[in-house]
Amino acid sequence: MMEGLVYDILIALSLGVFGAVLFAAIGLVSGTDETTTLAPLTMLVVLLGAPPAGILTFFLAGAVAKHMTHAVPTALLGIPGDTSATALIGDANHLRKLGVPHVALRKMISGGAVAALIAVPLAVLFAVLLAPFGDIIKQFAPWVFLCAAITIAYFSAGRWAAVLALIPFVLIIVALQTLTAQYGVKLAVSYFLGIAVAPLITSLFSLLAPQERERMRRSEFRTFSLAPDMKGWSGYFPNPFKVINRRQTRMTAMAASVTSATFVFSPVAMTVIMGELIGARIKQAYDRLTTVITARNGVTESTYIAEALIPLIAFGLPLSPVAAGPAAPLFNAPPRFSVDSATGEVNNLHNFLNNWEFLGYGMLAVIVAVLIAYPFTMNFAHQAASFVSRKISHEAVIATFIGLVLVVGIWEGGLLGLLVIVTVGLLGGFLGRFLGFNIGVQFMGYYTAVLSVPAIVALSS
Amino acid sequence: MSHPLDKPVSTTRAVRQYDLYEVWGDTIDARHLILAIVVGAVVSLGAYTIGLWVLSHLVESAQMAKAYAMLFGILGCLGGGAISALLFKPKRNVVEHVADPAFRQQVVNDLLKEYGSLGRLEDTSPEVAAELHELELYELFREAQAKEERDNGVRAETDSSASPNLALNGGRP
Repeated sequence: MMEGLVYDILIALSLGVFGAVLFAAIGLVSGTDETTTLAPLTMLVVLLGAPPAGILTFFLAGAVAKHMTHAVPTALLGIPGDTSATALIGDANHLRKLGVPHVALRKMISGGAVAALIAVPLAVLFAVLLAPFGDIIKQFAPWVFLCAAITIAYFSAGRWAAVLALIPFVLIIVALQTLTAQYGVKLAVSYFLGIAVAPLITSLFSLLAPQERERMRRSEFRTFSLAPDMKGWSGYFPNPFKVINRRQTRMTAMAASVTSATFVFSPVAMTVIMGELIGARIKQAYDRLTTVITARNGVTESTYIAEALIPLIAFGLPLSPVAAGPAAPLFNAPPRFSVDSATGEVNNLHNFLNNWEFLGYGMLAVIVAVLIAYPFTMNFAHQAASFVSRKISHEAVIATFIGLVLVVGIWEGGLLGLLVIVTVGLLGGFLGRFLGFNIGVQFMGYYTAVLSVPAIVALSS
Repeated sequence: MSHPLDKPVSTTRAVRQYDLYEVWGDTIDARHLILAIVVGAVVSLGAYTIGLWVLSHLVESAQMAKAYAMLFGILGCLGGGAISALLFKPKRNVVEHVADPAFRQQVVNDLLKEYGSLGRLEDTSPEVAAELHELELYELFREAQAKEERDNGVRAETDSSASPNLALNGGRP
């Protein structure tokens, strides 16, 4: 009994360390979206048979570490490290031009560390409070997803356009599923990957169209100014509470707590909103700028943790943009994990771990990620940014993602899988670019097609 | 218009030989991109196929063999990326420099526009003031704040001619 527990903890610890190291490195490369990287690798860990606790620590440690190192390109090069870092780029650029990018970087990762540590216990607490409603929600799951999709669409940049665009988008997913079913192929990851790499797929298609190509032509290299290296402390592990002051700690903790509860909204939207709310209360410009950037990066951590953990612990249904996207393999990874569309019956981490295990392994994951990513970023940010910007060409990044699309597509459904990725990617990319029909809405659209449409059809026949 | 002989600033021979486009947020060379995609595709799919073939002989469960083959495939993606990184150099100018004082002034102006006011240094906690001193930004914000207060004073003077006494020292310390 005791030995079994020690074994579980050791496996969870090593997968946590693995996830943290891997995603700390991935976070340094800008343009590596969370869904394209976290989802397939977590899927792999699930399918290779890792124990439930190890799956959780791998995912959480990866997410937390990535949201610390994404501060490196954001603060030092002025290019967003990933999707959630786009909300921080304005503040980071102001601090960079003031000549203090190192302050931006340190405040961001310290805020991230504080928020991540707060978010896990709060997310578990909220999940426990929501759990009594679990049965009702499971019973009405198809309708809950429909409502969630409409809500998330309305709060996206596209407003009513995004709500209405859900109809053709869902229709196409249903059509594609019917088509692949004729050949005995059932796809899931391919849809996610298609949605996540949509901007890349649309860019490559645009490059082939003569008119668009002329618009994309450049006569010069793009210039990035890399901030100089400045180290203002001694030792390897600076105390995060000395890097951010008491008010910044308080504000970050508050923002992290609030965003741990609002789990149905998109992480980027929450990051923007919390920054505005906090900024409005602080009058002095520098104070405001640094406090906002601290809290905002904290929110990128807390929303990811809460949006993955709350629906997982309380319902076992992927009822948030993060749960539906990057964290999807924790809910649905056939044949091992599944969510039954008709009955709302679930068989995933929700069933394999209890609340205390979620809390314990969740904290373990966060602590491992902080211990690895925080000192690494503090000490080697400059070298890392310099290496990535001088040695890793954009062609290489694109080649890696194309490879990923091919492997995952062929692996899941052969040629059909690949075609689905390209179709969904092209459609989603253009809908996102022209209507503000963002990636979170698209994920919910997928779940609407899988869970709500069968219920609607059953009701109307 | 004042520069009739306008030329691109850094049209070195190195840049001219490329066919540059901005794709997905950064510049690429068209020929290099095509080659990189081919390398990425061949290496990743090659690794996956070889993995699947080898593992189907070694591992009993076909399902597990396929899962491990995906691991090979993903390693292949990274391999393809690494080869492309070695073959094709980045199309970026990376300049390393210390912030220009003129830049700093511009940020302060941008912040004033964005926030409406720079606020008062006197309202900040001692920790923030100490941090600003340490970064040598205190004077910058103090001067900007004084200027903002002077400007507001002048505006108040012209705006409220009805109460000249109040306006004369309005906004000034």
